[in-house]
Formats: sequence, C-alpha cells, structure tokens
Amino acid sequence: MTTLLVRGVRATYGRTEVLHGIDLVVPSGSTTAILGPSGCGKTTLLRVVTGFQPPTAGSVVLDDETVAGDGAWTPPERRRIGYVAQEGNLFPHLSIAANVAFGLPRAERKDTDRVAELLGLLGLDPGLMGRRPDQLSGGQQQRVAIARALAPRPRLVVLDEPFSSLDTGLRAATREAVAEALHHEGVTVVLVTHDQAEALSFADQVAIMHEGRLSQVGSPVQVYGAPADRRSAEFLGEAQFVSGIVRGDRVECALGELALDGRAPEGSVDVLVRPEQLRLVKAPGGRRAEVVSTTYFGHDALVTLDLVDSDGHPGLRLTARVNGLEAWAAGTPVSVDVVGPVRAFVDGQAGTVPSPG
Amino acid sequence: MALRRSILAALGVVSLVALTACGDGTLEAGKNLDPDKLTIYSAQHENLTQAWAEKFKADTGIDVQIRYGNDSSMGNQIVQEGAKSPADVFLTENSPAMTTVQDAGLLATVDPATEAQVGKAYAPSSKQWIGIAARSTVLVYNPSKITEAELPKSIMDLQDPKWSGKWGAAAGGADFQAIVSAIVATEGEAKAAAWLKGLKDGGKIYQNNIAVMKAVNAGQVPVGIMYHYYWYRDQALTKAGSKNTKLLYFRHQDPGAFVSLSGGAVLKASKHAANAQKFLAFVTSAEGQKMLATSDAKEYAVGNGVASDPALEPLPSLQAPDLDPSTLNGPKVIELMTKAGIL
Amino acid sequence: MARSVGGTRSPVPVVVTSLAVAVLCLLPLGVVVAASIDVGWDAARTLLWRPRVAELLRNTTALVVLTVTATTLLGLSTAWLVERTALPGARVWRVLMVCPLAVPAFVNSYAWVTVRPDLEGLRGAVLVTTLSYFPFVFLPVSAALRSLDPTVEETARSLGLGPWRAFLRAVLPQLRHATLGGMLLVSLHLLAEFGVLAMLRFPTFTTAILEQFQVAFSDSAGSLLALVLMGLCLGLLTADQLLRGTSRQARVGRGAARRPVRAALGRWKAPALALMGGLTAAALGVPVASLARWLAAGDPTFDGRTWLVTVGSTIGLALVAGLLTVVAAFPVAWLISRRRSWLSILTERATYVASSLPGVVVALALVTLTIRYARPVYQTSIVLVAAYAILFIPRAMVSIRASMAHAPEELTQAARALGAGPVRTFARVLLPLTLPGALAGFAMVFIAVSTELTATLILAPTGVRTLATAFWSASESIDYAGAAPYAAALILVSTPVTYLLLHRSDEEPDL
Repeated sequence: MTTLLVRGVRATYGRTEVLHGIDLVVPSGSTTAILGPSGCGKTTLLRVVTGFQPPTAGSVVLDDETVAGDGAWTPPERRRIGYVAQEGNLFPHLSIAANVAFGLPRAERKDTDRVAELLGLLGLDPGLMGRRPDQLSGGQQQRVAIARALAPRPRLVVLDEPFSSLDTGLRAATREAVAEALHHEGVTVVLVTHDQAEALSFADQVAIMHEGRLSQVGSPVQVYGAPADRRSAEFLGEAQFVSGIVRGDRVECALGELALDGRAPEGSVDVLVRPEQLRLVKAPGGRRAEVVSTTYFGHDALVTLDLVDSDGHPGLRLTARVNGLEAWAAGTPVSVDVVGPVRAFVDGQAGTVPSPG
Repeated sequence: MALRRSILAALGVVSLVALTACGDGTLEAGKNLDPDKLTIYSAQHENLTQAWAEKFKADTGIDVQIRYGNDSSMGNQIVQEGAKSPADVFLTENSPAMTTVQDAGLLATVDPATEAQVGKAYAPSSKQWIGIAARSTVLVYNPSKITEAELPKSIMDLQDPKWSGKWGAAAGGADFQAIVSAIVATEGEAKAAAWLKGLKDGGKIYQNNIAVMKAVNAGQVPVGIMYHYYWYRDQALTKAGSKNTKLLYFRHQDPGAFVSLSGGAVLKASKHAANAQKFLAFVTSAEGQKMLATSDAKEYAVGNGVASDPALEPLPSLQAPDLDPSTLNGPKVIELMTKAGIL
Repeated sequence: MARSVGGTRSPVPVVVTSLAVAVLCLLPLGVVVAASIDVGWDAARTLLWRPRVAELLRNTTALVVLTVTATTLLGLSTAWLVERTALPGARVWRVLMVCPLAVPAFVNSYAWVTVRPDLEGLRGAVLVTTLSYFPFVFLPVSAALRSLDPTVEETARSLGLGPWRAFLRAVLPQLRHATLGGMLLVSLHLLAEFGVLAMLRFPTFTTAILEQFQVAFSDSAGSLLALVLMGLCLGLLTADQLLRGTSRQARVGRGAARRPVRAALGRWKAPALALMGGLTAAALGVPVASLARWLAAGDPTFDGRTWLVTVGSTIGLALVAGLLTVVAAFPVAWLISRRRSWLSILTERATYVASSLPGVVVALALVTLTIRYARPVYQTSIVLVAAYAILFIPRAMVSIRASMAHAPEELTQAARALGAGPVRTFARVLLPLTLPGALAGFAMVFIAVSTELTATLILAPTGVRTLATAFWSASESIDYAGAAPYAAALILVSTPVTYLLLHRSDEEPDL
C-alpha cells in the first residue's frame, strides 16, 4: 500500500525552477529520508507535498487522492499531513498542552489524556504540560512539536531537518525517542535532512537529491553500498576513488585485482573504496603500504597510508578505518587488503548497473 | 545603510545652510527679553501694535519689544509674574483683564496729561489705565437662513430654547468674556448665569470670532455674537468670510449693545516708567489715534477730536449701556463660565 | 556612584548626565502634583467634581475608544494585506501606509475642514485622528509580521486550520505586543492632541487645559486638569504593562528567514485594493490636494521674509533641541544598554513616562516652575528646548540603543586592550559605530520639534514663531490660504520621518 505518490513534480523558488521532475513512492508505514545538500530543493519538495506551494507540473497523490496536480488542489489544512519545521515553531503564546492539542477538534482539546499519552510517547514528562515553550530545552521543544503533529492522527508526518538545531549529544537521543514514537504510532514519515548518518539510521528508504533531481532511491544499505553515482557515493560517506581497468567481472587497480560489485563495461573506470573496506595487517601478504598518520576518534580511527611500490617508493595515498583499540604508529609498514567486492564508475555514473528501486 | 547615511548627511547640510541663511532672525528671536528695551505685553492686534511701536521708535528713539498674547492669559500672567514682571506697558483688547491686573495692585497711575487726551467715557474711575480703542458687540446673521423679523431683540433672548443650535459664539475668548462681564454688570449674576446655561445648552461654541463669522457666512449657524470690526475688516478686504452676512446692533442700552474698551496701562514695577508713560501718551495722542482710525483694525478711536473710520456706525448711535469699565469683573465671569461648564 | 551588577564602575560624566536627565524628565510630574496639592482639597474638589470635567472625560474616553478601535482594525488589516496576501503592489502600499505620518495631524484636520467645513465634533475628530494615526498600528504590526517565522502559520495550516483561522489562532496572538504598542502610541497621541480637536470643535482635556491657560495663564484649575490628564496617561501606561503580562514573548527559535506564503485574495482582491486606495486617498490625497488648492489660490498678504524667518527659527530650535537631546540621550542609552543598575532603570522609566505626557502638561508645568522658582530662564528658549528634550528624548534613545548593538562591549574592550584610553575608545570605536543611530535619532527629534504645536504655543519666548504656531494662528482665523505655505513647510520637514520609520521598523519590530 502506498501513502504518498509524487509524480513528475516540478516547482520553482521565486522564478527559478528548483525541482525538475521528481518521482517518489512512499509506502505506508515506512520512513523515507530525503537526503541532499542544502539548496538541492528538498525543502521545496516538502512544501509541495504539504501544500504550502503548488507544483508547476506533476502531481501529488495521498492515499489514492490526488491533492495537487491534474487540476486538483487540496489546501494544506485538509491534507492531514503533520508538519514539523526545523525549529519546531511551538506557538510561543500557548502552553505545552495547548500546543499539542492545537490541531484537535475543539471538544477534544480539553482531553489531557491524549496530550499526556503523546508526551509520554516522546519520552517527555507530562508535568511539562503547563509550561511555556521558552521554558523548555531545544530537544524538548522538538519533541513537543512532533507530539503536536501526531495529535490529530495524520496520515503522513513530514519532518524538515528536525534535529539539525540540536547539539550532537542531544541529537542522537532525541532522534531515537522520536523514531520510537513514530514507529509506535505506525505513521508514515518523510524526513528531510542533509545529515547522511541521520538519513541512514532513521529511514527505511533513502532518496538522494541533487540539484532538483532524485539521483537514487533505495534502502540505506543499497544506497550506501551501491551508490548510483560518484556524487552520491561521496555524499553518503567517506569515499576514495582508485583508477582501474575492468576485465570481465574483475577490476585491476593499484590495490590489486578485485571482485566487481555489479557489472561494468570493459576498460578504464574509477573504483570506489570506502575506508572501512580496507583492512590492515602487520604481517606481509597483501599490498605493501606505510602508515603516514592516524586520526583517533575513540571507537574507531582513520589511518592515512601510502602504498609502497616494489622499489619502496611511496605511491597512492589512501585512508583506512580501523578499530579504535588498535594502535598504528606513523612509519609502521603494513599490508592492505580490500574486503568484499567494489563498485566501479565510468564518468561519475555507476557502471551499467541500473539504479535500484 | 549607505543610503541612510547620505540622506541624513544631506538633511544635516540642508539644516545648516537654512540656519545660516536665516541665522540673524533665528538668533535674535530666540534671545531673552532685552531688559534695556521698553517691553510691551500686548493683547491688541499685532499689526496695530507693531505700527505704533515703529512710529514711537521713529519719533523718540526708544526701542520697543513686544510679547503678544490674549487678554486674560496675559493679565493673569502679569499677576503671576508679580512685581518682577518684565512688562512695562500692558495693552488689552478688553477691560476685564486690565481690571484683574489693577486689582492685584500692579498698575501705576496714568499721567494726567495722557488722561486728558481721551474722552471721559473712555477712562475708568480708577485712573490706573486708559482706553486706547473701543469695539462694539454685534449680532452677525445670515439673511438666507433667518429673516430680519425673526432676529432677537436682545442678546438675552438667545438663552431661549427656541434658539438652541441656532447661534454661535467664541466663548473661550476674552472678547466674549468681556460681553459676559457686561451682562453680569447690567443684569446681575443670577440672570447672567442663566444666560450662560442657555449658551452651554443651545449655543455652538467656536474657537474665535472669525470662526463664528465664517460659520454664519457658510450657513452652518444662522446668527452669531461677536465684535463689529471682524466684519468690517473682512468687508474691506475680500468679503470672503462675510459676503452672505449682515450685522444687527441691539442698541437701547441692551447688554448686547455693550461697547468694550481696549485699555493701556503702565506697570507699577516698570524700570522704564517714564518711557512707558510716553508710549501710552503717544498711543492716545491725536497721531496715535489717527493711526488706529486709518488702520485696518476697524476699531473705534477714543482720542479727543479724532474721528473713527467713516465706514463704521457712529459710536454714539450704538446706545451702549453706561458702565464704568473698571467695575467689569473678569474673575467673576470666569467663575460663572466655569460653573456653567463652558470652561 | 552607580554600580552595575558586574561591579564595573560607570564613568562619572555618564552617571551625572543620566541623573540630570532623570531629574529633568520627572520634573513636570512633580510640578503638576505639587501645584495640585497647593490648590487644597476643597477647592480641588469643586474644580474637579463638576459637569465640565465629566464632559471632558466623556469626550476624551469616547475619542480614545473609537479611534483606537478604528486604527487597530485598519492597522491590522492593512498590515496583513501588505505582508501576507498577494495584494498587487504590496511594496508600494507598504510605503503609502506609512506616508500619512508625514502630514502632521493638525495639518490633516485643516485639509479636511477646508474640504468639508461641516466636519466637526466626535465624528470629525475620530475620522481625522484615525487617518493620521493608523500608521502607528500598521508599522509595528507589519514589522512583527515580517519577523514572524512563516512556519508558524504553516504548522497551524498543517494541523487543519484554514488561512483565516490560522491567522486568528496562531498569528494574531503573536502580534499582541506589536498591536498593544501601536494602540498605546495612538492613545497617548490622542490624549495629547490639541490642533485637530480645537479645529474640529471637540473639547478634550488637552484643549480645555490650553483654553484654561489662555483664560487664566497657569492657575489652579489648569493644574488640576493637567493632573487628571496625567492620571489618564499613567493609567494607560499601567494598563499596557498589565495587558502585556509578565510572560516573555521571545521567539522560541529563529528559523530560517523564508518568504511567507501569501494568501491569494481571489474575489477579495477588488475590495482590498479599494480599501488601500480609499485609505491613501483620504489620509494622503485629501491633505495634498487641499494644500495644493490653497497654495494655488495664493495669499495676497503672504510675506516671504516672515515665512523665511519662521522657517529659520523653527530649524534653529529644532537643531539645538535635536543636538541637545542626542547628546543627553547618548550617555543614558549607553548606561541602559551596558550597565543595568537602579540608576539606569530609573532613568529609562523616567524618560519613558515623561515623554508620554502631553506637551500641554509638560509646558504648563515648566511655566509654573519657572515663574515661581527659576525666573532667570522664565520665558527663554532654554525652557522651550528643555520641554522638547523631555518630550522627545525616547525618540533619540531608541535609535541610539539600537545602534549600540553594532558596537558590542567586546569591541570596546578590544580597543582598550590595544592601548586606547576611554576617550580614544569612544572617539574611534563607539562613536563611529553608533553614529548612524545617533543621526537617525537626531533626525527624529528634529522632525518632532519642527512640528510641535502645544508646548510651543505656551512656551515660545517673546517674538518667536515656529512653523507650527504660525500655521496655527492662521488656520485659527480660518485664513486657509495664509496657513498653506506653513502647512507645506511642515509636510516637507516631516517627510523624512516616513523613510526613517520604515527603515527602523525593518530593524526593530517593537518600534
């Protein structure tokens, strides 16, 4: 079953077209993240879905009802889409309870049970009900905003970078509480974000957006492991490219002859090697390399290393992600192995592999 | 930002240029009263006072500075300033304000020679001030709004409810208060109070006499009470404010036929007493009074042997009530008007 | 010596100036109260408990209630149309809605009276004051609407509210401070208004006080009326504080500045345009047209030299008063924004209260004071300039305080650390950074002084005429043609106010 269907949507910001034909399917009960750098048009897409802005072409279908396009237009207040803005935007003149109850019919607004239930669901103390928004922390405000959006039981909730204004520590905790609450309510969610970790951890489906187009839509594992193009690969995580030559289902490059993930045309390609695909061992065996430096993060560390050719001259510089418990001093000679198959790209596009989804 | 700066800068430059251009006027005007000059507090017409002052300076070389105001305000101001008042000479349009200052004991006796220049009827028994001009009460009416037969016979008729909403007066002004003082003097306090109640309930109150006349002229109100000279001045100029109106003199010693005396006095505390007396003598002299008679003031001259403007109704024909001007009581009028709720 | 919370000493000259400003501002209040006490209880009762006072109270209340209601409705609806709907030419309308401030209210009433001579009483007073004062509501409300994050409205829409209900339930409550501020400003102006009401023959406390002054100079009845009027002002200030409540109405978060959704007007487009057009015609068209008419008619007795001298003395007074006010406001503004202490709070409140008193009250108090205790300055321009400073110091202060934000304490500290002494720091850092604000403040005071009528009528030294008093004496005698050149000059002088206020409202929503 499909909750949201976006078909060929085009839209403008001012006089410039910023969405050049978007197609997106959001299955019922799923969480879809729209991931892209700022200015890529993701917020405009969200505004078209919520009804704050009409598309110039294409259509938006909600539960089989066309709400925009094909001559139809449903104003935002009748779309039953819960909306949470970047900073929550609690109504500053209302108490927390009144904020949460804002969208309920007049008769139900006095019913504090639903309010308390929602606050509890988001891990908030129902004792906060009488408080004013400015007496709450940023994370609490954001949770209240989500409770408010959930209160009228919307058929879809859209979140516009809801965690970006929070501190790093707070962000993860809030995100978890929100994910749990949304899951509990079984509501369909669209999240807009520029944070790849957030998109990958929060969503069942990730849509990657670049300059007004969706370049790839798929599960987090798909989009991370099998990016459709170089840019997506770079955007989703640390990516390094090594040039190579494809022969059949293998590719020959500075790291040796590696297995290909998917297919690629014969000839020269760029091979994507993520840092976590490199494994270092002190014993000889794989490609020889020498540690240049280590950036330590605690749970893991990034080791910068230079490949060493047979004459002992330094060659290609690469980064490997290692367990934080291992120590790699500069100058240590190591051997490098590549784990699993690799993706190859021709002129930025991934081989001939069709985009999944 | 840059735009705002440049606009402000331009504003500043313009102001500075304007200031320099008009500098002499500004600085002189902003200066304190000059204690060496003869200081006149004048509630009389600005043009006339100015003309007198200029001629006086030309004749005697005595420098004069003038503060303008209106009767009761200036009278009370002098009283509050007391012995330290900067005023040397006080000129009024009506006598009650003069009486206020006189009763506070602040006036010097007028030179007998000056007094002799003015008819006996135009000087108070107290001899502390002297008449310098006279004006008559009139009813101004709009013949297209009211027939002559319907006009009141006496000013006292206007308190009748049938006049409600049909007459106007400048009740806040000193001129009107002088007329009320005549009503108090001729009819007594009780009747005056009743008449004032009639004004409060049924009269339309305007800001000043000209506004009354123009309202009558425009047909907004059929009749109005004021002094004669506003009408004659307008007739002599454009007639714009009076072409649809006529005047009615009540005569027969009616309080509405009251002729108000404009006064001149020298302050007891004056540091230029001699010059002040000279100025008063000049104003009441044949020359000073002729200036009045030929000016656009259209007031009656009061100097011996000086004829008023021939356009005016002759003063003796007005049959004004016979009153000693020094008995016209300003504070009593204010009290009655305050009680009536007009002030 | 005042100490701030942080314990830093404030420079002596700053403290002395601030104290002086506070004392000067509280002077009129004290004098009016003292003069009223002098009257004695019995006399006071007979002067206050009389039908005339009841009538004035009725008139004043009716005027304030009706005009405040009308200006609020007009201000809110025009602001909403301009800021939140697809009104064609919204940017132009926004400027036009502020332009009426360039026409002093008493010039506006003159224009209306020449067009409709039968306009008078409450009806006329409400009409003219509404047209002159609705920008006081429009400006803060439209500024607040601009600064309001549009996602607030969007959130309400997504929660099932239509555009109109979203405005009522989510936006309007957030405009409360701005609206209240505008309403207070309108009420205070109405209490102080003299010219319009005298011209339209509608007596209120202010016109009665001036009339009393003309009858009796500074007497007890005048002082008592002033006391009542002062009470009304203070009552309004208190009511405003109570209505604002103690709760802060800070923004919860500062969202990305985004273009708001402009509601389509549909079939309301024509009525909306008619409202804006009609309002512009009534508030701007009428004054400009009748002024043009009387200027064209010409005044045979017009004396260019007198006019120039009047312009000159007005500019002279405005320059001196403006400069003095800015110089006095500067240290106070510094103290208020940099060193919170009892002194800075007292000074701030004092200037605020004093400036909300009608000009007639301040002027009367200064006459009473100088005639009794300060004879050497009695009837000098010093007193007049002092009155201007008392009445208009907050206008300078608002601008200077806003510009202080451009010169944060860290910058002056940096200058000190780089070896500049206090004086050099002031001259090289603080002054250049706050100069635009100081200049804007100066301009605001300059304009206010140039068009001030009531205090000038009472306090002008012998022989001094300003544009406002010259205009007044001509229009008082219904000499419309004679008043026209002065009216034109008054409008010319006030025009920059439009620009300044539009600019300020962009910076500071609370005006």
